[in-house]
Order: sequence, then C-alpha cells, then structure tokens
Amino acid sequence: MGKTLFEKIWDAHIVVEKENSPSLIYIDRHLVHEVTSPQAFDGLRMNNRSVRRPDLTIATMDHNVPTNNRSLPILDQTSAVQIQTLEKNCKDFGIQLFDINSPNQGIVHVIGPQLGITLPGSTIVCGDSHTSTHGAFGALAFGIGTSEVEHVLASQTLWLEKPKPFEIRVEGKRKNPHAVTAKDIILSIIKNIGTSGGNGTVIEYKGEGISDLSMEQRMTICNMSIEAGARAGLIAPDEKTFEYLRGRKYTPKNYESLVDYWRDNLKTDNDATFEKNYTLHVDNIAPQVSWGTNPGMTCDVTESVPFPEDFSKGDQNQKKGAEKALEYMALKPGTPITEIKIDRVFIGSCTNARLDDLIEASKVVKGKKLSSHVRAMVVPGSQMVKKQAEELGLDKIFTDANFEWREAGCSMCLGMNPDILSPGERCASTSNRNFEGRQGTGGRTHLVSPVMAAAAAMEGHFVDVREMDLN
Amino acid sequence: MKGNVIKYERDNIDTDVIIPGQYLKVHDYAELALHAMEGLDPDFHSKVKEGDFILSGRNFGCGSSREHAPIALSHSGIKAVLALSFARIFYRNAVDGAFLLPIEIEEDAYSNISEGDELDIDISSNEIKNLTKNKTYKMKPFSEIIGKIIEAGGLFKYKPD
Ligand code: SF4
Repeated sequence: MGKTLFEKIWDAHIVVEKENSPSLIYIDRHLVHEVTSPQAFDGLRMNNRSVRRPDLTIATMDHNVPTNNRSLPILDQTSAVQIQTLEKNCKDFGIQLFDINSPNQGIVHVIGPQLGITLPGSTIVCGDSHTSTHGAFGALAFGIGTSEVEHVLASQTLWLEKPKPFEIRVEGKRKNPHAVTAKDIILSIIKNIGTSGGNGTVIEYKGEGISDLSMEQRMTICNMSIEAGARAGLIAPDEKTFEYLRGRKYTPKNYESLVDYWRDNLKTDNDATFEKNYTLHVDNIAPQVSWGTNPGMTCDVTESVPFPEDFSKGDQNQKKGAEKALEYMALKPGTPITEIKIDRVFIGSCTNARLDDLIEASKVVKGKKLSSHVRAMVVPGSQMVKKQAEELGLDKIFTDANFEWREAGCSMCLGMNPDILSPGERCASTSNRNFEGRQGTGGRTHLVSPVMAAAAAMEGHFVDVREMDLN
Repeated sequence: MKGNVIKYERDNIDTDVIIPGQYLKVHDYAELALHAMEGLDPDFHSKVKEGDFILSGRNFGCGSSREHAPIALSHSGIKAVLALSFARIFYRNAVDGAFLLPIEIEEDAYSNISEGDELDIDISSNEIKNLTKNKTYKMKPFSEIIGKIIEAGGLFKYKPD
C-alpha cells in the first residue's frame, strides 16, 4: 500500500521505533525564540549538557521585542532580561542568533523560509505552536513545549506518538482571488471542521485551490492548521516551492540535486489512504470575519452575528461558549457583520505579515486616509520584509494614509509587548487567535485577511472587499 | 489522590486565558501561579487550594504551546485537570514536566461532577470516586508511554526500556 507524504517524512526520520509506543524522531532544524527557551537552557546547564547540534539550531527574538524605534533601550525590564538571557544562552551554547539589530531578525516563522532554513522533507520544531507554518514547504513542522525544547537541544531528537494523516482537499477556483484570500480559505476550513477537528492529525492540503496559491499564501494556510487542532499542516512541494527557496542565504549548495530528489519523492502515493478527509469548494466562498473568541467562531462578511442556539446546533457546551463569546465581544446576535465598528487595525503576525500580504493590503489603502476614529498599524513579519516593502514604497502608502509603520516582531498578535489593545477596544486583526485577552486584557479581536483589515481601517467598519476594485 | 473540583463548563479553554501573554516574561513560578486562569476567572487565585482539580469540557489547553500554562496551574496547587479532551501540546507539556495529570473523562463524569465536589482519583484502577455524591466514574486510561513518563516523573527521568 502506498504512503502519504507525512508517512514518508516520518519514516525517514525514525531513530527508534517499537510497536505500540512512540518513536524517537530525528529533528533537522530547531528554531528558538526568547519566550519558550530560557528554562530549557537552564535545564541543560543544571545537568551539564551541551547543545548536540548547534549548527542545526537557529534563534531569533520576536515575541516581546518592541516594534518602535530600535535605537532606544527596551523599557520593560522583564522583556529586556528575557532578551539578554537569549543572547547569553546563544553565546554560551554556540547558537546562531538573529538579534534585535540583525537585518535577518523577525518572527521565527517568517524568517525560516526567507533564509532558506526551511527545507522540503525535513523535520522542524520550535517552542511555538505556529511552527506548522513551515509545512507549506513540505516539511514536517510542529510546535513543542519547553521540556521538549530542552530534549531537542540536548539530543536533536524527540519522542513522538505518530499522528494520523488527514486529507483536506481545496477544490475549485476563487472568482476574485484578491478579495478572497488564503486566510479566508483556512478560516472557512476551521469554521467547518471546528477547532478540534484536526486533533491528533497532520493535515495534508491538496487540490487546485492549494496549487493555485503562492508560497506566502500557502504559509497562511499551514500556519493556522494548529487552530484546527492539528499537529501540523503539510503541502507537497512543487516548482513554486523550489523556486522560492532557490538562492536564499542558507539554501544548501547541492540544492539542484536535492530538488531532483524532492520532485520524485515528496508526494503522497496515489494508493495511500488517509484516516480522515474533508473537501472545501472555494468557487463561491466569501471573505471571512470571526465574531467570537476562538477561530472556529467565524462567518461570512455578508452574514450576521449568529444566535447561540443556531451556532451550537443543539450542543450545550457550544451554546454556552457562544453566549460567553458574544458577551465578551459585546455583540448582539443578528447584527450584520458590516455594521460592526472597529477601533483598531493590526496588519501583522506570522499568519499575514509577508510581502504579498502587505502588497495586497496597500491596494486598498493607496491614496486614501484612515477612518478618523481608527488607529491602525502595519508590522512587517521580518526586517527583510520591511526592507523589501520599503523598496516598493509601501511604507509611504501606509503612512500617507495615517497608518503606523513599525519594526518587525509579533507585536499585537499577543499581548506580551508594548503593542496591546486597551480593555474594550475592538480590533480587525490579520493574526491567528481571537482568544479572550489575546491582544491585551479585555481587547476584542476579529480575525480577517489583510485586505479585509485594510478596508475596515479605511471605512471604520467591516466591508465586503469583493465590492472594491483590487486589481 | 484526593481534592476538590473547580468546574469550568465550557470547551476550548485556551492557554492564553490559562496564563495571559503578558506573564510569559515571568521566570518565577510562584509569581506565575498568582496569574493562573486570570484571563477567564480573575478569582481563581483566591479560590484554588493545594490539591484541587479543574474540570472542563473539550479541547482543554488549545492554542499557544506555552509550558507556562501547566506550570502556572501546577504551582497554584492544581494536581489534575479532568476534561472531555485535551489539545495535544498542553497534554504533553503537563506530562513531560510532571506538572499535573491530564485526565480524560467521559460525558457522565463531566455532567455529574459539580463545583466543590470532593474526588478521589485512582490512576492504577482508572477510577474516579466522587466522595460528595458517592458515585464512581471511569477515566480513560493513559497510553502505555504516557503512563511510563508519568511514573518516571517526567520526560527527562523517563528511560525507554
Ligand atoms: S506572530 Fe503571533 S502567532 Fe506568530 S509566533 Fe508571534 S505570537 Fe506566535
């Protein structure tokens, strides 16, 4: 019987395997950031261990770095300590670090692919759940906790229970690919299969609706696999993948021979079987807006805030969850999504802060001014994205419209750096989580695509971007 | 293992509400514990006692991979979380660091057990006794490997045979 792509990568990385127990899996790349690593390095020191493969370990700082002027000292003392701790740990253990002043600094899931660290067929881990992003390149990539970070630092391996393969087919052609984006595809999928629909699985995305996407858009899809509960997302590499990685800073010297191998081997066999299947048809999907406090609580921009009993379809816990969510979000059932007024706009995060995202958003903004009651910021995913965007003049388009143009980092995706919402503020955000308090205590998050966020910024409320000229 | 229940009747309790992002900078576990569950239940700290259990619905611990989540719960006294299901990273974090036991329960236990009930959990027989209501429920047994890691006292103490 044939194998799925996931099974092929898994099998190629088994160090120890026994029946009915987890396997010891070799890890090809380990990405490290300041928040989930300090205890892991402490653990190494306590036990007199070294990092087994510093050459396969790469660090950056992203979660709590301020995104304003980088020449100023970091005011928040605890953040400053966490950043200095990472610097010291990388120095002590011989790990390459892209620090706050490096031109390669950025969100760990943005810089990995940009630097050619992310490679097809490899295993990649990071102490961060959105490591699933790298699956867009046909890598098996997933988030781990701090104890596991320590285990990988010490041994370059990990004990893992084998997830089950889940096939999601995305079929059809979007009528307006500028207005209906990869973000809308993945939000639609999560809305349909639920936030635990992918639990215990690795999702392989297939079909015309996926091969049509650029690498950056594929990353948006794989990035949010974790929001469906999956361990990882995976897309078989194709010519777009190989082209994207060609000539990057860390792309291996024997790249072309690797490509030949990948082309022949990194795909699911025709007779392979999946544990689960789901198909989304994208011909007619609308831009998506989340209304609740998890990414599954999402609807079309043309719909209204749902009634909890309709949303829950008879499930009591779901109903209670929806009621709580509406209370937290201060939304009334039946309110048209397009009538929801917003205070803030955040274009950023590892889901949607790549060059493509900023280009698309800038089309909505160009030559106009921000709605007077909205504060909006654009936070490029990496310093490299920022530089490329500036070369295209995007910074000017955004600042002319009164957006803030900031330095790279996680920023307002999570409330652990100075960029946060005030209690009660409502934000259209291109990030991936709308959990209570995620963007700051009491803040209210609506997840949308970059074009939807930009349009909301200009109008002061959500609008259906299919009605705009985006070409 | 005996303790009282703090019940949250909902699904998808995420790690952002278990320990909000602004505390991920905190290195001191005792201080971290002061902010456990703050995003959902600001009174948690004043009501939790050493040895308590949390009871909740499906997909407990979804979201961010922060190990701070089981650490904060564990250091505030929680010995086990009983839920209909768990998100994988939280589950592994809880077990790997020997912070607390993630126990999967069935619908009957979930609906029957109330806030404040005293439970006696016996993982050798996979039974949960409700001492307050004089009832017994089954818990889902740990897989072999998870059982071994728990027995060893965490991932780093576990030696495969
Ligand atoms: S941008 Fe957000 S989701 Fe991505 S790594 Fe940073 S905090 Fe996590």
